[in-house]
Amino acid sequence: MQEATLSFKARAKEALADPTLKIAIDRTTGTAERKRAVAMTQFPQFEAARERGKRIKDHVIANLDHYLLEFERNAIASGAKVHWARTAEEASQIVVRLCKEAGAKRVTRVKSMLGEEIGLPHALDEAGIERVETDLAEHIVQLGGDRPSHIVWPSMHRTREQVSEMFKRLHRAPHQEETIEAMVDSARRELRDKFLTADVSISGANFLLADTGATCTVTNEGNAELTTTPPRVHIVTAGIEKLVPSMGHAIAMLRLLVRSATGADVTQYTTFHCGPKQTGDRDGPEEFHIVLVDNGRTRMLREGMKDMLRCIRCGACMNHCVVFRQLGGHVYGGTYPGPMGAVLTPMFDGLEQSRDLPHACTMNGKCQEVCPVAIPLPTLLRGWRDRSWREGLEPTAVRFGLGIHTFVASRPRLYRLGTAIAVRVMRLFNRGGLVKGMPGLGAWTAYREFPAPAKRTFMEMYKDQEKGQ
Amino acid sequence: MSARDTILNAIRGGLGNTEIHPMAVRREADALLQGLPSIRPPLLEDGLVDAFIARVTSPKVAATAERIASASELPAAVGRYLEARGLPAVVALQPAAPLQDLDWSGFELHDEVAPDETIAIGVARWGIAETGSLVFHSGADTPILANFLPLHHLVMVRADTILPFLDDYAAATAGQRPPRNVNIVTGASGTTDIEGSLVLGAHGPRFLHVVIVGTPDSSE
Amino acid sequence: MTTTLKQIGAFSSPPRVGLFVTCLVDAMRPSVGFATLKLLRDAGCRVEVPDAQTCCGQPAFNSGDTADAAVLARHFIETFEGYDYVVAPSGSCVGMTRAHYAEALADDPAWAERARRLGERTYELMSFLVDVMHFAPADVKLDTSFTYHDSCSGLRELGVHDQPRALLDKVSGLTLKPLEGNDVCCGFGGTFCVKYPAISNAVVGEKADAIDRSGASLLLGGDLGCLMNMAGKLKRKGSSVRSFHAAEVLAGMAGGPAIGEER
Ligand code: SF4
Repeated sequence: MQEATLSFKARAKEALADPTLKIAIDRTTGTAERKRAVAMTQFPQFEAARERGKRIKDHVIANLDHYLLEFERNAIASGAKVHWARTAEEASQIVVRLCKEAGAKRVTRVKSMLGEEIGLPHALDEAGIERVETDLAEHIVQLGGDRPSHIVWPSMHRTREQVSEMFKRLHRAPHQEETIEAMVDSARRELRDKFLTADVSISGANFLLADTGATCTVTNEGNAELTTTPPRVHIVTAGIEKLVPSMGHAIAMLRLLVRSATGADVTQYTTFHCGPKQTGDRDGPEEFHIVLVDNGRTRMLREGMKDMLRCIRCGACMNHCVVFRQLGGHVYGGTYPGPMGAVLTPMFDGLEQSRDLPHACTMNGKCQEVCPVAIPLPTLLRGWRDRSWREGLEPTAVRFGLGIHTFVASRPRLYRLGTAIAVRVMRLFNRGGLVKGMPGLGAWTAYREFPAPAKRTFMEMYKDQEKGQ
Repeated sequence: MSARDTILNAIRGGLGNTEIHPMAVRREADALLQGLPSIRPPLLEDGLVDAFIARVTSPKVAATAERIASASELPAAVGRYLEARGLPAVVALQPAAPLQDLDWSGFELHDEVAPDETIAIGVARWGIAETGSLVFHSGADTPILANFLPLHHLVMVRADTILPFLDDYAAATAGQRPPRNVNIVTGASGTTDIEGSLVLGAHGPRFLHVVIVGTPDSSE
Repeated sequence: MTTTLKQIGAFSSPPRVGLFVTCLVDAMRPSVGFATLKLLRDAGCRVEVPDAQTCCGQPAFNSGDTADAAVLARHFIETFEGYDYVVAPSGSCVGMTRAHYAEALADDPAWAERARRLGERTYELMSFLVDVMHFAPADVKLDTSFTYHDSCSGLRELGVHDQPRALLDKVSGLTLKPLEGNDVCCGFGGTFCVKYPAISNAVVGEKADAIDRSGASLLLGGDLGCLMNMAGKLKRKGSSVRSFHAAEVLAGMAGGPAIGEER
């Protein structure tokens, strides 16, 4: 789903000019960063756990067809209905069809990034089905009529002041007191009856357990159960990469996921769903559907992006990204923002229109360092740059410039001469140790000074010294 | 070709069409869980129950806990809890034998939990010391909504069902048919969705009180 | 052979080190090159500055121009292959040779192997002085305070963190004032800073504020690119913090103008 038609740079400029956005970003990601750091000190074996987590995911990916079939078999045995979707459209059509078959007027949804990826909110709205987002952040996003800006905190772009204003305007019995507690209460009141009167619930899955056919979801609010228990039909949508062999493996992954995401050790609610209501059960849905979604994942397997299939959507990479921390998530224009989004969006939306994303990165490597499954995000981003270069999508000026640079830099004498001349030209613009007003340096000097070079290059001075000796 | 076959073929193609031997995959998967003890977070205390309580009452979980010697003391404990908070003795009681069999005289009981129920009393199948979690299985005597609708959730857990690590729960239930719903509950419901700051009582309970019964080696 | 020498921590004869000054130091701040030369010599190395050296190819590589990066990688390998060690006063250039040459040359296994072997002998200056030469500067004095920015490539690709601090600790009179977010990128990112100047500026703006808050008189670091970015921002915001490459301080050559000061 594309953000209007503004270019990345134009969107970035707008975001940089929005001081409220920056406050909102810093409050949420700053807290996440601090809490994660504390959690790391409390789990000394985290590095070993991370290595284990990476191997678990790699193992699953290497045997993905095997695990999908095992999962499907067990899920069907538990009474679930399993559907397969090649594309986003196919996936959301399946969900809409299931809702219609259930005669659904109102559906409740538990936050799921895959749901966003396949455009489910939009598809439901189009189909005229009332959609109630039950996750507080998604509720805020829905009220605001915008899109998630973070994969863990979708409404990260809103300050408490903005949320308060929105609740006051749109809730039936809004809060009186200006505290976050009171606002949360307001949402609790607003959503409560909707939980209980929905016809269909839709959730995602953090893990799919091959050996039982169960799905695993983590939430803090408890909205997942309130959402998925009362309606007659429960639909789970999940990417095919979400598999793990067993609950033991899921637990090993959960330890990584939650610490990396919020700095907690576990979420308040870790839930496993396995099939529909069983004989004798007091509550639960009569129908349980699982929609397994490819939407580019098998392409990633083929096109050298296998490492990215390890991603467990924890958000640590964006919380620690200097670019994301300046811009927030909307600027990225796709479902997924930040470093992982910059890797995924060209896959989903095409490289040509998202080629800025892999470039808008300083390659500082922090995202890879904090990624709980050690995804080499900078390498993958450079992979896109490489591809963009080969496909001729890079600007001519850059191609020309680098071509000349290489021509010169592979000819030492020419290079020496070129450097010596460049230094002398820059010296012409030297004003008290800084280069001022030199054409071509505007991108730099618009924002900071450009320190002037010395009068001669190192190589010139060194050669003179050698001769003198 | 069906979507299913297209996807499976694409995967096989992407993986280089190598043959998969289920037994070998199984062995590899098992091996990935070997040596787990060396990569688990440490327990907070030496004794299992102490470790569990320390975790339950730690700021991270932020629940309250108390110990009683036998289940027959539970109604009195509930009475104290209600009195301390000035709450009426009207409680929703999970329709599970270990609770229903106790002497609840003086309480007004019901087993359907209302959407705005003040307090519900339940029993957890297991406790987990690593995380201070309680484990519930859906079933004939366990309505799942009862864990989520009330404002106060009081949960009894037997000391001899407290397991050290989450993996021990996985091991304890391996090979059994899973219930429709397993809930691993850790503290009261919370949200950090507004500016990352934690607020309890989002949609689920705002207060969680855990009552540990007996000792690890008693059957009570 | 060199690994054995390294293991016993002593050299039967001084190691022959090829100094890669880096294109930025060559053109912008030769004093860093001379400081590096002095430190390596003080540490007991026989240092040569091969005349054929140019650029490591990182700008091309990071722009996605892998073919051009490979041309420059081959040139670098040919230039430096004959030395016991290659040392550069930059974590980012060394990171390029150690971590990425093999990638840039992946299509050509023979060259990739040569890259790998050279990479093992290629060091960032601070880590070479400490980890290989077990060197500590003697009789260097500078009465002031400094804060230190850990440039990303050195930190994450090469594990350079303790070494500069250990070396600077030996400078008498010099005290460290910690930098909040010392391991957070300064927003330079090579070509990033000119491709996305506004974003880069926002990042370096926060960095400059943190540097000011540290209360230190000097900003030190191990990569000239990052230092020029931070010094340029500090200057623009009128900060009095002066910026040097750590090598200049360690070599006792921080008496002259700082980065961005008239010389
Ligand atoms: S790429 Fe890594 S850090 Fe980023 S969301 Fe995925 S798992 Fe988390």
